[in-house]
This record gives sequence, C-alpha cells and structure tokens, in this order.
Amino acid sequence: MIVAFRESVEGILLACMELMDDLGCELISAKDREDLQQKMDFSGIENVKALGFRGTKDTTKLVNALFGKQRLRMFQRDPDVEGYISLVLRHRSSRAIELVHFLCSCEGNAELLYSGKSVTGKKYYNYMRDVSRSYHRLCMFARPCSVNGVLTVKVDSPHQIGDMFCRWLARKNPDLPVSVIEGDIAWIGNGGHVGLETYTQVPASLAGSLEFADMHDEVDDLWDMYYDSQFIPKRRNKGHARGLQPKASASMSKMSERDSYKVERGIANCTLDSFASRSEV
Amino acid sequence: MTLMERMRVLSEGTKYDSCNQSAVCHAFGPDGRCIQLYKTLMTNACSGECTYCPNRCGRDSVRASLTPEEIVKITWSFYRRNAIEGLFLSSGVIGDAERTAEKQLEVASLLRKQGFTGYVHIRVMPGTPKYLLEEIADTANKFGVNAETTSSMNYSEICPNFDYKNDVLQRLQWTRDLINKKRREEGFRGRIIGANDTQFVVGALQEPDREIIGTVERFMDKYELRRPYFMSFDPVPSTPLENNEASPLWRETRLYQTSYLLKDYGLTARDLDGVLDDNGFLLDVDPKMLLASCSPDMFPVNINTASREDLLRVPGIGPVGANRILRSRPISSEKELARMGVVLTRARPFIEINGKRQTNLFSFAGVGA
Repeated sequence: MIVAFRESVEGILLACMELMDDLGCELISAKDREDLQQKMDFSGIENVKALGFRGTKDTTKLVNALFGKQRLRMFQRDPDVEGYISLVLRHRSSRAIELVHFLCSCEGNAELLYSGKSVTGKKYYNYMRDVSRSYHRLCMFARPCSVNGVLTVKVDSPHQIGDMFCRWLARKNPDLPVSVIEGDIAWIGNGGHVGLETYTQVPASLAGSLEFADMHDEVDDLWDMYYDSQFIPKRRNKGHARGLQPKASASMSKMSERDSYKVERGIANCTLDSFASRSEV
Repeated sequence: MTLMERMRVLSEGTKYDSCNQSAVCHAFGPDGRCIQLYKTLMTNACSGECTYCPNRCGRDSVRASLTPEEIVKITWSFYRRNAIEGLFLSSGVIGDAERTAEKQLEVASLLRKQGFTGYVHIRVMPGTPKYLLEEIADTANKFGVNAETTSSMNYSEICPNFDYKNDVLQRLQWTRDLINKKRREEGFRGRIIGANDTQFVVGALQEPDREIIGTVERFMDKYELRRPYFMSFDPVPSTPLENNEASPLWRETRLYQTSYLLKDYGLTARDLDGVLDDNGFLLDVDPKMLLASCSPDMFPVNINTASREDLLRVPGIGPVGANRILRSRPISSEKELARMGVVLTRARPFIEINGKRQTNLFSFAGVGA
C-alpha cells in the first residue's frame, strides 16, 4: 500500500500510526494537495491513502496514542512532542519520511527524541535546536521599523520560521499591526487593525500598502548611546561576546550590525566629537 | 544637560546591575553581558552615604535625573524596535525610601496605563514601606532590595543610613510573601512574576566567602532567594573606601559557580567547605572540579547505575546531562555521552562505562583503589 501524508504535525503522526500498523507500506510526503497531485502525476501512481490533508484530527490525542501521556521533556526548554515535530519540519534539511521512520523506531519511548543517544535521534534533536535557535535569534536581533504605522521587518532565515516570528512580534505589540516579510510573502499579525484577519499571509508587495496610525521614532542614536553606556571596559571578553552576538546577527538589522561591530572592535573611549569639544575648550 | 547626556549618566549608573529574566536577550556588550532591559536610574542624586557608591551624597560628581514621562518614552521607543524586553528601574534615594518608591511606582503605573505589556523590574530602596511594595507588586514583574552584605555589622559599615534587619531583611521577607501571593493570583497564564533576588557587593569589606555562601544559603532557605547576584567591589575616587583594593573578577565568577552548586546541584554550604582555604576564601579553581578532586573515594561513578546526586557530582555533567543519562540508560560508549551534552574532557577521569575507566598514575603504579 502507498500512504501519502501531508508534511504537517498531524500528517506525520498519522503516517507513524499507519506505518506501525503496516510496516511494509510505502510513504510519500507532500506539502499540500496540489503538491501531492503533481507527485502522483509525475510517478504515475493512481491510488494512495491520503493522510492529514483535511486537518481535522486532534494532534494531542495522536501523540498520546503514539507515546503515551508521560511528561516528555528532559530540559525545561525542550518543546513537547508536537512542538518538536513542528520545529523539525521547518528545518531546511528535514525529510518528512525519514522523520516518520525515526519516530516509529522510538517504539513509544519519546525520551529517545530528546536524549540524542542514537545518531538519527541526535540529528533530529539538532534540527529542532537549529530551528529553535534561529527563531530565538530573530526574536533577539530583528529590529522592526514603523512603515505607515505598521511594524515591519524583513527576515532571511534558512528555515521556515517567518510565521512563528510574526506571532511572537504580534503578541509583544498587541496594539499595532505587524508585518514580517520573508522572500515574496508577508506574514501579517494583528491584522484586525488594518481590516485583515488576525494572522494572515499576503504577497510582500501588498504589505507596503498597509496603513495604520503613523508614528516616527528615531531611536538609533539613543540606542547607540545606551549600548555604549552598558559596557564595562575592564571586563571586555571578545570571544564570549562573539559567541553570543555572532557576525550572522549583523545582517538582521542596522542596529545589530553596529552592536556586532562594537563587539568585534570594542567601544572607543575617544571619538572625533570629544576631540572637537576639547579643542573648543 | 540634554536628554542624551542625562540618559548616558543614569544608564552608566546601572551598568553593574545584573537583571536576568531568562527570556530574550536583545544585544550583548563587548564584555559579553546581555542587554535585555533598559536599565536606568531615575536620578543619581542620592541622600544615602553608602561608602562604596559613586552616587553617595556629598561626592563631587555630575548629577542628573529623568522624569517619569521621559523614562516611559525611551522605554517605549526601544521596546517597539525590539531592542529590549522591558525596563529595569533603580534610583538614588530621593529624600527617603518612601518618596523614591512613589516615583518608581509612578513610572511603572504610567507604562501599564499606556498598555505596556513588557517586563518591569523595580529595584526598591532599603526601607520601602509595605503598602508601596504591595502597589509595586501589582504593576511590576519583579522587585526586590539589595542586601549588599552578610550581616548587620558589615551593613552598618557600608550603608550607615539604613538598618540591615529592618530595612533589608524585613523587605526580603515581604517581597517573598508578595511574590507567592501574586503567583497564586496570576497562576501560570498570567504575567511573569520573577523570583526573589538580591545583590551582594563582594570585597568592599573583608567578609570571607564562607560568610557570603552561608548567607546565600540562608536567604535561599528563608526568603526563597532564587538567584544571588554578585558585584565585585571597585574603589571609587572621593569615597571613604577609595584606598581599598579592588576585588578580583575571578572571585565573582567563583561565587556564581558556588551559588549554582547550591541552587541546581543540591549541595549545602557545609558541602562546599572543601573548596575554601583556611581563611574561608574561595580559590581561583572551578569549585566543582576541586570538590571532585578532593574526594577520590567517591569516583569513578558508574554511568549506568549511579544515582542523580552522584552523577551531578561529576565535573562536566550538569542537571540536564544527568537527566538525559538517567532516561537513556543503558549507555554503552563515550560517544553517546558526548551526544547527550556531557563534557567528556572534564568528566572522563571521574566516570566508568561498562567497567571501563580512564587509567591514572595511581592505578598504573598499583596504588589505591
């Protein structure tokens, strides 16, 4: 039998259950119905058992059926099984079919997802951590600007995390519409303020035309001054600071770029301005 | 003075304050410390005479202050740009602790009235009245008072305007009670209520580390202190302690390490006696490694049979690694341990896997176990 499943948490879990019932079945994964149809047309397959394309199952029940109701985290920041699968699926190198086989190989012991004991387990745990880290980096270093009153930010992540970041930013600023532009699409959060759904996806070109109450805030100079004021010169630790504010963070915004530069070069305690003011005296 | 100049003076006044709220850091300074809150003093004009403090009254220095409206505006600006998670507000003592707390409360209330949902941490002054602490607890996510030192006698030496027992310890107890009350009210879905914390100035007086570690343990037990912060003393010109020696930075690091051993590893202050010298001071060595090296009879620990407590005593294995080991047994190789996050270079001399352990000079020479 050929089983086609959607590359979603629900699809993965349903495929796991199917595979556990029939170890000999063949698996095909697809992003959506159109993608599935294309794959079927290409390979000449006519009949498949499609799973997860309707999106109606309760994923928590599916997780409980597969792994039981135990508390399944080893580290307080580890996500639960649903969160784990959701994060892994966003990874650029993730392969849905391999993930299904790995989940089945755990035989109901979800601790193997987090322990990193097996090579595949470690690989997927690392995928989960990679995506999680990229998302946190965005939350840390992305600096949205107000465009016509809409908090707008461009993101460029190797993983598909634009929607996650949009939800985070919208939760943080519930009184403003937010727009996260990822390639040619834009995720809109708090869309109710501009006559859209609360969370929705629009073409990036449309995001620029959204308007809300205008606000201007030139904070860059204030921030630079504040950042400099927090530095304790005696404690400069370039290696440690580099690890925490990596060069990659510099590409996320101008503000982060300047911060990153100061991590690399330090903060000069004598500037041209201070030279000029001394000359005036 | 312009807004920028005042802001710089007052932000510099808080650069030694640590305020980890374990959420999102937004930037890291060249010293590697994270910047996640807009930290500022309301004013550095202080009526206190703390002997180590650059803001003590009577000292000749630039004085500045920010109005509540200015602090709120700056906080919003940074917050909208996702440069911070919230505000850390401290202050010099404006007349007395009550008036200072009223001003701090004004800032927090103004922010909340404007719909600010970010994090607000208020460092209150010793002697803040209970009714104001209660009001602060309604608006701030975290609040607390700095203990600075370990005993009434030491405190009266460095902070002569305040009383350790009434103005500090009593406030730590009220803070603990208010945190518990707020947590019960808010539950898990409400706003974050930070745990009780406090800061010690290390090295301003001659108090040994044994005393500091004992105080931290007592505070953890009595006031449910979650995290102590340590600030190395650095002599400030034109203060009574200007001729004292600066405390070495490593001392602060080692104190943090011992505080983690108390907090996360289940050790007691008595267990840590072994890492102190005869005068009760820490050595510049990782205390966990020193403890393990001083107790050779407790090692090697069998990875597949040891209890969590025994695993936690192994250098290179932390609480997360210990949990992973316990849930992934049997462990058959070092590679598996490495994948679980164990630091093998540190752990190797102290562990045994399936009867195999690293050899050492003693076993090579046939001495000891």
